[in-house]
Amino acid sequence: MSADEPERAGGEDAPGPRYCTYTSYEDGEPIDGFPWTGPTGGATDEDGVAERIADALADVEDPEMPISVLDLGLVYGVTVEDGQATIDLTLTYTGCPARDLLQEDVRRAVTDVEDVEEAEVRLVWQPEWTVEMVTEDGTERLREFGLSV
Amino acid sequence: MSDASNGPSLGGPDDLSERERAAVSALVRAMADDEFVLAERYTEWQVRSPTLESDLALSNVAQDEYGHARLWYDLLGDFGESEADLIWEADPSDFRHATLVELPFPDGDWADAVLRSYLFDVYEKLNLEALEDSSYPRIRDRVGKVQSEEEYHREHAENWLERLCADEEGRGHVQQAVDRLFPYALTLFVPTDRESAIVEFGIRTEPLDSLREDWFAEVIPFLESLGIDLPVTDEGVVEAELPEKIGRRGDHTDHWPELFAAFTHTYREMDLDEPPRLMEDPDDVG
Repeated sequence: MSADEPERAGGEDAPGPRYCTYTSYEDGEPIDGFPWTGPTGGATDEDGVAERIADALADVEDPEMPISVLDLGLVYGVTVEDGQATIDLTLTYTGCPARDLLQEDVRRAVTDVEDVEEAEVRLVWQPEWTVEMVTEDGTERLREFGLSV
Repeated sequence: MSDASNGPSLGGPDDLSERERAAVSALVRAMADDEFVLAERYTEWQVRSPTLESDLALSNVAQDEYGHARLWYDLLGDFGESEADLIWEADPSDFRHATLVELPFPDGDWADAVLRSYLFDVYEKLNLEALEDSSYPRIRDRVGKVQSEEEYHREHAENWLERLCADEEGRGHVQQAVDRLFPYALTLFVPTDRESAIVEFGIRTEPLDSLREDWFAEVIPFLESLGIDLPVTDEGVVEAELPEKIGRRGDHTDHWPELFAAFTHTYREMDLDEPPRLMEDPDDVG
């Protein structure tokens, strides 16, 4: 439609087609402590390994959208002990066809981090991912991509 | 995340006693197989649904059900069973899905597809509610995610049933589907051989019998409100007999081996069931 045309489809007494009502993603509630986006506050990260893992995860892109797994809010937790890193990862929906790919991308990216010997990715489903998990930067990027978040 | 509100938590996969593990396995196997086989049937509607919108909708429902099947199969993976063991290289009689989900759709019978989805999804909703406080954390932690993806399945099925029943011809199709599928829907509530342990350990907090009563209380009034006749007496007693084949103990209709052969065809064609060889077996040469 042209710019000067009113939003007829949304107008109350306008005849003709109406916008589909399912255009926005259901909002969830923000949940304290989720997602994990890097070492924060009280967490000790003396050798900076958690910070480097966060940087590495910021480079792992979702295969469908121009956004990293970190900004999409899929990372729920990172622990490192004696070079053994464990990453808790969730997915936006259970039928995600990129499940194996994402797990493997994350595992490889973290394995490459200095002071990490081995990385294990655990899939977790709680709390349930919603768009509230997307970071501010991520929300910007998704809007540029054309999603109504 | 939180402990079950009633009863002790069973702990992780390695903490289970033999009986607890057998009970978790039986419950999860039936749930995973239901979702997987139903999804297999739904995909038969791809590019054949009555509208592009409904084609996409049912394909999406199928994708969700595959996702849920994978979540439940993962829990059997905790016990060392691989996807190949559980599905692609399994014997058809290893499957424990209810026979409702394995029946073929009569040619082009959309009423069958939406009714089957409705009957199954109401059962699934009740089953998931009875797993919210499961004593097994690995089940409990997955329930919320699955529930969040199920609501629109029911909405889709109910909307279609209302539309189909709005005229006589459509209602006739739904009635025929009800007459055929209602007895098979009862197979969803037939216990596996571990039902008493499943309830005793609090893995599912309701017995199947009470899930079935709740299912009757929802499904019967809804379908009757659409003008559908159900096998129920004036006193509200359901008079439907179980079909010969149930599924929950490995007994299946003749349609099942056929479907199984079809969806494992590519796997076998690609020799994925044979270990790869780097060279010819010297014994086979010359």
